[in-house]
Amino acid sequence: MEGHQRNLYLYERFNARVLGVSRDDVTTLKYWANGLDLTFPLLSNVTAFLGVSVSVQPEGQPIFGRRTIIIDKKGTIRYVRDGSPDFKDILLFLKKLNQEGGKP
Amino acid sequence: MKRKGLIILCLVLVVAWLSGCATTETTKKPYRLSQQGTVIWEDELEFTPPPPDWKLLRVEAGENDINFGFMRQDTGPFPSLTTFAYDEEPFGCTPGFEQREKEFFKRFLFNAIIQFQILEKKKVQVVGGEGLAVLVEGKDPVKKEKVRAKVVFGKRGDRVVGFYITQWRPMDGAYDLSAFEVFDKFVSSFKFLKKSFYETL
Repeated sequence: MEGHQRNLYLYERFNARVLGVSRDDVTTLKYWANGLDLTFPLLSNVTAFLGVSVSVQPEGQPIFGRRTIIIDKKGTIRYVRDGSPDFKDILLFLKKLNQEGGKP
Repeated sequence: MKRKGLIILCLVLVVAWLSGCATTETTKKPYRLSQQGTVIWEDELEFTPPPPDWKLLRVEAGENDINFGFMRQDTGPFPSLTTFAYDEEPFGCTPGFEQREKEFFKRFLFNAIIQFQILEKKKVQVVGGEGLAVLVEGKDPVKKEKVRAKVVFGKRGDRVVGFYITQWRPMDGAYDLSAFEVFDKFVSSFKFLKKSFYETL
């Protein structure tokens, strides 16, 4: 998450916004975000429907799998990677996507 | 603030940490020696290496990340050890040194559960620009261990990079300040030979 926070100025440059989604409750996420000085939104999804909708909810487990998803401005999922985020890969993809989309 | 067209980067995350694991180098060498005796690291960095009794450490990180350091097993009982490193992504997020220092020390040696006391903090010149050097000491009265550390923050483009040295000792052990001189020489010799990935975006 710190990596995303460091890259916010670059996401801004590429017209991107970052959201975190977790099954943790709001209080836990607030504490966590405060500890890491995060300024972007973290969504608490204790009922797991968001995770189920993108297939990162392992059956019988209380947490999501870790996945990075990029959705374009038309709402199409354009990028999916599991595991720890590859920030350089994400930034290169966003740059390409922004160039594709042209000026808003 | 002007709202631009939206590309929404959505992350699904597990609130868990993946910390890097240090290993000694065993694979293809990412460095070469220059005629001047400096180390050229992946044609990107140049620095004066420490004396031969320092062992190279590699830190498992992202495939394209630069994370390395040096280690020396010191004489004396456990935990007599000194390590120093260059880090492209030191803990914290803020591009300003003062705030970054606060963020950094929330996480630095977090697992050791040590409260640091700042011994000295001063502006320095590093990697061709202004930086901040912070000398700290931490003590663990339960394990009867202590650590002296120096962290130097500098800039590479818009981003903060870091150098740090940690020297562990038993509580009644004496620090070896010559290791800090080796570290200072390493830091002052450090140069970027080309722009970072982030500067080329």
